[in-house]
Amino acid sequence: MLGSFAVLRKQSLLGDAISHAALPGIAIAFLITGTKDSNILLLGALISGLIGTFWIRGIVKKTHLKSDTALGLILSLFFGFGMLLLTYIQKQPNANQAGLDKYLFGQAATLVESDVWLMSLVTGFCLLVLLLFWKEFKILLFDADYTKTLGFNTTFIDVLITSFIVLAIVLGLQTVGVVLMSAMLLAPAAAARQWTNSLGVMVFLAALFGAFSGVFGTAISASQNNLSTGPVIVIVASVFVLVSFIFSPSRGLLFKQIRFIKNRRDLKLHKTLAFMYHIAKTHDNISHPHTIKILNNFQGFTKRTLQKLVDKQYVTLHGSNWSLTKEGFKTASNLYNQQSDSHE
Amino acid sequence: MSNAQIEIQLIASLVAVACAIPGTFLVLRKMAMISDAISHSILPGIVIGFFMTQDLNSPLLILLAAVTGIVTVVLVEYIQKTGLVKEDTAIGLVFPALFSIGVILIAKNANDIHLDVDAVLLGELAFAPFDRLLIAGADVGPKSLWIIGCILLITIGLLLAFFKEVKISTFDTGLAASLGFSPAIIHYGLMTVSSVTTVGAFDAVGAILVVALMIAPAATAYLLTNNLKRMLIYAICFGVFCAISGYWFAHWLDASIAGSITTMLGFIFLLVYLFAPNKGVIAVLYREKQQRTEVSLLTFLLHLRNHNEEEERHVNHLNEHINWQKVRSKTVLELALKNNMILIDNNIVSLTKKGKDFTSQAIDYIITNEDSKIEHMKDDFFLFRG
Repeated sequence: MLGSFAVLRKQSLLGDAISHAALPGIAIAFLITGTKDSNILLLGALISGLIGTFWIRGIVKKTHLKSDTALGLILSLFFGFGMLLLTYIQKQPNANQAGLDKYLFGQAATLVESDVWLMSLVTGFCLLVLLLFWKEFKILLFDADYTKTLGFNTTFIDVLITSFIVLAIVLGLQTVGVVLMSAMLLAPAAAARQWTNSLGVMVFLAALFGAFSGVFGTAISASQNNLSTGPVIVIVASVFVLVSFIFSPSRGLLFKQIRFIKNRRDLKLHKTLAFMYHIAKTHDNISHPHTIKILNNFQGFTKRTLQKLVDKQYVTLHGSNWSLTKEGFKTASNLYNQQSDSHE
Repeated sequence: MSNAQIEIQLIASLVAVACAIPGTFLVLRKMAMISDAISHSILPGIVIGFFMTQDLNSPLLILLAAVTGIVTVVLVEYIQKTGLVKEDTAIGLVFPALFSIGVILIAKNANDIHLDVDAVLLGELAFAPFDRLLIAGADVGPKSLWIIGCILLITIGLLLAFFKEVKISTFDTGLAASLGFSPAIIHYGLMTVSSVTTVGAFDAVGAILVVALMIAPAATAYLLTNNLKRMLIYAICFGVFCAISGYWFAHWLDASIAGSITTMLGFIFLLVYLFAPNKGVIAVLYREKQQRTEVSLLTFLLHLRNHNEEEERHVNHLNEHINWQKVRSKTVLELALKNNMILIDNNIVSLTKKGKDFTSQAIDYIITNEDSKIEHMKDDFFLFRG
């Protein structure tokens, strides 16, 4: 759901970076408290995720390093630091430490009821804020400068969105793990983007896709041995994306290809017609018959295009001869002067 | 220092150098995230390679992994070319999918062997010296040392041979294409080198550290210099320094070597980020403050020039009129005095001749709006800057 904003804001990889950056937070929270209470660990993850995010912004704003470099940098540095802490923790004499690395890859099966409650609570809260600030989010997304002139506090809204993305990611970490979190954030949104141009519909669709891939993924992984939930969910989500890419009516690859072929065929038809027109022009009578043979010199001519021209009543056939009709002549002479209707 | 310790440090340094070279170009080409994607998506390549050979050490594994890396790049570019999503989204979609496939493959088929997701992602440098390469029964050193050494040699060879071409195509793709170098070939060449390096290095240091070693030294060096050759050298130096110091840090903490090298990299980057002479945060903030004061000074002088009435030029009045706080107006007044632009007589401010010259030039500048002029002009007049 929040992924829609991330995708539209061209911050897709932020999710990846944040999920990695959350690791040291988890480790530090554990080091300080010494317990494995998931709420405290999540709080740590949230804080370190936010630090990572704002550092990324600082780098992009203050130096000439580009955002991709900043992302990669923060991602790997924080993760490395987190690993250092985790290995350090492993050496500590504390029996509690086992299972911290579950956060790396996630294990939906380890979720307990309270976790689910927490998740639903936060999701509901996100939804509420989203509805409350819908207008502001939307306007900031598409025209930041305009928002500023309208007197909204852009930094505040910006920080708000970012915080919520971080929150969503941190919550999701438990389910699908660090590495695959970015896909969970992106895939539903990218799939939804293909079906609609309206933000509201897109957010709704993204939530729907996300929920579906979650349910399907869990179902598949439960039905088979040895399949961890996270990767399966991601694969299902990727399949959604693939299907959307190919079959979406206005942007999909399939329809694009069909349109492309259709256009090319139209163009060939026009070329043939133009060629006929140039031959017919040399005669006084435009309907003067010519043999089909002379068309054979011409590229792009097939029986089918000729038949099509006949169907459109631009051309009439008499045995092996063809002649332009009046209508055909008129269309052909206007072909390069104006866009004809058949052009699409 | 034992033999194994020296070997570990040697491997770490070699990896650092091997990563820093392609990393520099990736950072310059704004493709840093690709290295992250590659490092994740080589997993299925390795797994498939393992199924085919049943041998974790076969060169086929590295080859297949490199191929997967290139497949990733091609896929990302294909998705991007369809125009359906942006490049970053494409990256974010491709590599988790490939990675998931890898994880599932391992989980389904390779549960009982030594091929572990953790090992792939994190690597373990400490074990590298135990994996010896035996030639005709003789021990010639750790295997990863040889692998990464070969990769490094190839990379350096390619770099020397194609330095000019890569340089041009990095900074000006159009020019490179018009000169007859194919940007596509260089692009894919670079990608191949990055993939191979990632694959060769991940075995020793893990996927995450590879990314860190590629991006962090290059980014750090980029903050310090604009010269490509110098940037390469700095990046290599940072890489090696962090590799060695990181090793000792890990030794002291008894923690993961890969993690501590990354932490060292992060630490160095933070230092440079804050204190770099021209592009560091502190330098930028200082310069912004300086520029703000200079603009204030200009406004102030122009105000003086426009008003001849005494009450408009009273020191206290300036506070109200230009709407500055006390401290700010005091700074500006002092700066103007120091530069001999104004005279204060009985709390009435007036311009000196130098101040008048300066303002008339400034007005010229504002009217004609030629960019180059202002810095030069400031140098002429300012002895003390804000």
